[in-house]
Amino acid sequence: MSADQPTPSTTASDPQSSWLLWAFAAFWMVCVVAGLAIVWAYDNTPGQAGHSPAQWPAESGLARAIDGPTLILFAHPQCACTRASLGEFAEILARATRPPRTYVVFLKPIGFGLDWEKTDLWRTAAGLPGVRVIRDDEGVEAARFGVITSGQTVLYDETGALVFSGGITGARAHAGDNAGRASIVALLNQGGTDVSLTSVFGCALFAEVNGEVWRRR
Amino acid sequence: MTASVHPASVEPAVSITSRAAQIFAAARREIHERTDRLFAGLMAFQWLMGIIFALWVSPLAWDGPVSRTHLHVWAAVVVGGIISLFPALLAFLRPGLPSTRYVIAVAQMLMGALLIHLTGGRIETHFHVFGSLAFLAFYRDWRVLIPATIVVALDHLLRGFFWPQSVYGVLVASQWRWLEHAAWVLFEDVFLFVACRRSLAEMKETADRTAALEHEVRTRQQAELDARSARARNDAVLEVALDCVILMDEAGRIVQFNPAAERTFGYSTAEAVGTELADLIIPARKRASYRTGLGRYLATGDTENLNRHVELLAVRRGGEEFPVEVAIAPISSDGAAMFAGYMRDITARKQAERELRQSRDAERQNAGQLEALVSELRVTQRKAEAATRAKSEFLASMSHELRTPLNAIILYSELLQEEAGDNGHQSAIPDLERIQSAGRHLLDLINGILDLSKIEAGKMPLLLETFDVGAMVDELVDTVGPLVCKNGNTFSVRSEGALGSMFGDLTKTRQVLLNLLSNAGKFTREGAIMLDIRPATIDGTTPCVEFAVTDNGVGMTAEQSRKVFDAFTQADVTTTRKYGGTGLGLAIVSRFCDLLGGTVSVDSRPGEGSRFTVRLPLQVVDTAAEPATHAGIA
Repeated sequence: MSADQPTPSTTASDPQSSWLLWAFAAFWMVCVVAGLAIVWAYDNTPGQAGHSPAQWPAESGLARAIDGPTLILFAHPQCACTRASLGEFAEILARATRPPRTYVVFLKPIGFGLDWEKTDLWRTAAGLPGVRVIRDDEGVEAARFGVITSGQTVLYDETGALVFSGGITGARAHAGDNAGRASIVALLNQGGTDVSLTSVFGCALFAEVNGEVWRRR
Repeated sequence: MTASVHPASVEPAVSITSRAAQIFAAARREIHERTDRLFAGLMAFQWLMGIIFALWVSPLAWDGPVSRTHLHVWAAVVVGGIISLFPALLAFLRPGLPSTRYVIAVAQMLMGALLIHLTGGRIETHFHVFGSLAFLAFYRDWRVLIPATIVVALDHLLRGFFWPQSVYGVLVASQWRWLEHAAWVLFEDVFLFVACRRSLAEMKETADRTAALEHEVRTRQQAELDARSARARNDAVLEVALDCVILMDEAGRIVQFNPAAERTFGYSTAEAVGTELADLIIPARKRASYRTGLGRYLATGDTENLNRHVELLAVRRGGEEFPVEVAIAPISSDGAAMFAGYMRDITARKQAERELRQSRDAERQNAGQLEALVSELRVTQRKAEAATRAKSEFLASMSHELRTPLNAIILYSELLQEEAGDNGHQSAIPDLERIQSAGRHLLDLINGILDLSKIEAGKMPLLLETFDVGAMVDELVDTVGPLVCKNGNTFSVRSEGALGSMFGDLTKTRQVLLNLLSNAGKFTREGAIMLDIRPATIDGTTPCVEFAVTDNGVGMTAEQSRKVFDAFTQADVTTTRKYGGTGLGLAIVSRFCDLLGGTVSVDSRPGEGSRFTVRLPLQVVDTAAEPATHAGIA
């Protein structure tokens, strides 16, 4: 007997049990693939697209840079998916040859306690060099910039014109190369890009009420 | 005293090759089952860790202020559970089976896919794939790497096509990039394949060595059992042996002393063992010679005094010397010289030999006396035979001398009768007739005596010729018919088939029948006399003619029948007086039948009659002369 020959089966497997086994295995495989497909589909389904104003909103409490672009990331402090966005945001800042004025705006809805927003995301954002972390009570600033999904990033140039709006991850919670990041880096470094609008993958910043996204106007 | 042997044996030995195969298969199965259990545990651990990770990293999904359980948590619970439970179940229900580990391999890779996803496609999580492949190699079955590799390749192919960032971390990937990932997996597979093969080869080698070791152990156990059995047999033989068996070491010290030796020499085994043989059972004056012979053997290997039977004197407890027959044989035990001594007390044999010698001497003496007696008897016999011959010769001579004057008396008595009749002297005729009758009776007697004497003297010649049996019988009937019928008897002759001819002595054949028929006529009154003739055999082989003379006359008793063929013997003395005769007729019949090579017998009952049966060979052989011609009965 060669050492590499299969081990003889010591359990008598009758044809019926073998058929059942393979049938169950096939069913199991279908279930697993279906489950994974649902997860993949969820992760790759973007949030609702917001419409950011073409010009810097004058009522915004954020100060726009006049000597360069201003980059703002809107985030839900409890959104796990936004962790990837923050990572990509840091990547953008790292790649930018001339860092823009940068804000990370964290939503704080009504009814939550003190420091509810001071999550690890907050701390991560605060740790990024040159980043100004802003608490956005009730999503006022988000509403001013037309943002309804966590992770949406907007870039205004020194004239206050919107040059980019969208997500900076390729999928929900998935870090890595993506169109949004590449576009912003290109805008910052080269001043132009072919893509100015991307899908945003993240949690909704506002709850839906009667089918409508509720936000303070 | 009893002794018994208990045969024992170990289990039948299987071949080393098949045993090695069994061990190898069992080891592989044990590894497969153990790895199945490990993977079952790993599956549960991964499932749990996936849930914990999902709860930690992304417990909730938010819609503004509203939260809900994140889908990743549900995915970790449900999809992770589906992935893990089925292979874990198989690991416990069907451990060790190929299908179980193939399902486990697929599940492990699917779990990797899920974990990669739950971690947001972190490239570090891809190490799960390589770790899983290494873990699968625990099975030491490279085939299990195949489904795992296929799952990884398909996962990368499909996800690379639809969601490349989830697997490659880039937005746009080459359609062939899955092959790069699969190639890295195959790269690891190659090493794992080699590792599995080497591991299996080592397991096989270990199984071979184990089987060989088991075989060696089994062989040694069998050898020990055989040795114990042999020792038990030897002990049993020694226990019941009638002869003394004494084992000695090279110094001549006793190491074994069987019960027969105990009985013969009067020492117990405990007393004898350890004692030098010479001191124990050899007379003091012989010990030096014994030790010299032992020393010579040990020094030179000279076996002159070994391996042969010798008779010696031994000594019992108490000093009694007695003869023994001894054979000493050198034996080898673990390289040390030993001796086996076989001794037998031959006191009784020596005594028997002495008695036998004495008996033989007496026999020889008796034999000499017997031989002298036999010689004496031979002399006596020769003398008796000589006397018999002399008697016969005398009788023959005397009969001849008597017949000459007797014939003259008979002749002259006839002449005198004729003359008395012619001369009218009727009164003298009866006396003359008595003289003639007495003379004829005397002549018959003399003729009979003469014939018997000739026969006994070996001087009765056979006149062999071919004659017709029927003609002989016809002539006989004509001659003897009146004599047979004279007492009112009837006489008949019966024959079976053609009688043909025979080669023999016509005169003696006729004389035999004549004597039997005249006797029948003489002892039968108003009865029936019959002569039956038929072909027959003597002793079932020699063709002959059977003549049977039957009468219903006075008959004879069995005692009389036994003596009727003896000379000068009739049924009883009254017979002679009543019927006359010489008592020689049947004796002559018997002698003639002997001369002709035939037989005669009688069957008779008193008052019922007699039947005399004569069988004469068709071809009589004269032992003194060659026959002239030969003829058959047909």
